Amino acid sequence: MAIVNLQDVTYKYPLTDSPALQNINLQVQEGEFVAVVGPNGAGKSTLCYTLAGFVPHFFKGELTGIVEILGKESHNSTLSEWVLNVGLAFQNPFNQISGAKYTVFEELAFGLENIGIPRDEMKTRVLDAMKLTGISDLAERSPYSLSGGQQQRVALTSILVMQPKVLVLDEPTSQMDPIGTREVFGVVRRMAERGMTVILVEHKVEWIAQFADRVIALKDGQIFLDGTPAEVLTSPLLQENGFGVSRYTSAARKAKAIGLWKKEELPVTLEEAVEGFSRANAGRVV
Amino acid sequence: MEKETRLFEPGLFYVQAATLFRRIASLIHTAAARRASLIIHAMHERLSFHIKRNSALHRLNPLTKLTLVLGLVLISFLSPWYWTPHALLLIVIIPLSFVGKVNREFFRAFLRLILPAASFLFFMQAFFQPVGGTVIFKIWFLDITKESLLFAFRNAMRIAVMVSSFTLFLLTTHPSELMSDLTRRGLPGQFAYVIISTLQILPQMQAKAQTIIAAQRSRGLDTQSSFLRRMGSLGPLVGPLVFGSLVEVEERAIAIEARGFTSTQIKTSLYEISDTSLDRTIRWILILLVIITLLLKLWLS
Repeated sequence: MAIVNLQDVTYKYPLTDSPALQNINLQVQEGEFVAVVGPNGAGKSTLCYTLAGFVPHFFKGELTGIVEILGKESHNSTLSEWVLNVGLAFQNPFNQISGAKYTVFEELAFGLENIGIPRDEMKTRVLDAMKLTGISDLAERSPYSLSGGQQQRVALTSILVMQPKVLVLDEPTSQMDPIGTREVFGVVRRMAERGMTVILVEHKVEWIAQFADRVIALKDGQIFLDGTPAEVLTSPLLQENGFGVSRYTSAARKAKAIGLWKKEELPVTLEEAVEGFSRANAGRVV
Repeated sequence: MEKETRLFEPGLFYVQAATLFRRIASLIHTAAARRASLIIHAMHERLSFHIKRNSALHRLNPLTKLTLVLGLVLISFLSPWYWTPHALLLIVIIPLSFVGKVNREFFRAFLRLILPAASFLFFMQAFFQPVGGTVIFKIWFLDITKESLLFAFRNAMRIAVMVSSFTLFLLTTHPSELMSDLTRRGLPGQFAYVIISTLQILPQMQAKAQTIIAAQRSRGLDTQSSFLRRMGSLGPLVGPLVFGSLVEVEERAIAIEARGFTSTQIKTSLYEISDTSLDRTIRWILILLVIITLLLKLWLS
């Protein structure tokens, strides 16, 4: 049975006419790494809030359909019970710092203090999580003195440390450099392999292609495409509908039109593009 | 009728006075702004006045130290004897700053903050307190009496006791230690959060205000000419700050909620804060001393 189960979910924010999410049907298996792509205003963040229980417990408005995680329905549960199973980290790292703690170590322990984890286990968990995301050297710094990318790592770690079954991430690498992004994707991938279910909203399609198991394209609050990264990210429908497309895909599409790309499927990452182009040129003298 | 030539030209005088005043004000303003930015910079990394040292005073339970502060303040205000606040400052608070190994920081704060505040209070009360009695000297229409001087001196000392004991408390107690101890004793977590996050977020707000000012100035907003125009410039500065903060509040609420802030579980604490029998003894002694002072005050008056 699917760990995340959304059936016919439609949601309207208060004081708005058009729904932010419309007839969403989504089943995610345990340990699956699902990436969500879509243009601005497609409902990506609303989907995250719905999965994490903030719709309907924090944002009012009209929610219809079934939102079920681990067999429990969100409207039958309280938010504080819900967050034990579903962790949420979002884009703006500055606002995710609790403001109640003076060092990164204390900041990471904040969530564990709230849910009553004993002191010894708390320390072990924080140390392990810091090692995992590579922020051990920031332990004694003030969270406010960090750079945007470092703060984003702290925000992600502060959720990982709570060991939720389902991890919902809304653009967790928006302020990171390419090396940081790769590391974070690596961490998330590892968490998925350990059995954590990951739902990640991200614009960086090349990374998604390398790390995710499945991609969902959202448009106007509806699921537009749903499939493997190769299927979804190279679909010609994406570019036509205002989605971000990898530059390797668009280059290969143009090359294909003039006969320079011989393979049937288009590439998403640099490696696939290099491989495809070198095969196309294999017969020629260099 | 011919216009009378006057030595004193009011219009010119006001302009000159205003110019002078503005110069002084801008000097004070720049100095204050520079100092404020230095303090903010230092607070950015530390975010508290706390100085990490290993001393007996640091090791005391935060509540014990808080009781000590309140006890000293109450005794200095309630005591029927004239010299109590002076004595408390000299034989309790100053030696305690040495016990806490924060004497250097304490004296710096004393010179910069406590002494100016207490002197200001002293002069105001000495001049304007209508206490009759032996006139020592007169300045213009103000009579300075022996009684008013004594009265002002004691009040200034009471304020000095209050501010300096609190300074000592802040120097030797980490705010999160205080809050986790108080939360453990039953202070609602939400209340502790409000206190601590306010302390932390103020410097952030200040930094954000600076960014907004720089951004608006780069688009031509006038922040340096006449007073009226500067008042007019407040709108574009305050607007983004306030509305930005409102959006932030929502996101922050989501972020702490996602970390189980309203969880009904019994909260645990990262730090173990000791509360020894010595702590309890000190607290009881202080409470007893306050009660004795109160009774003496009632009995003697």
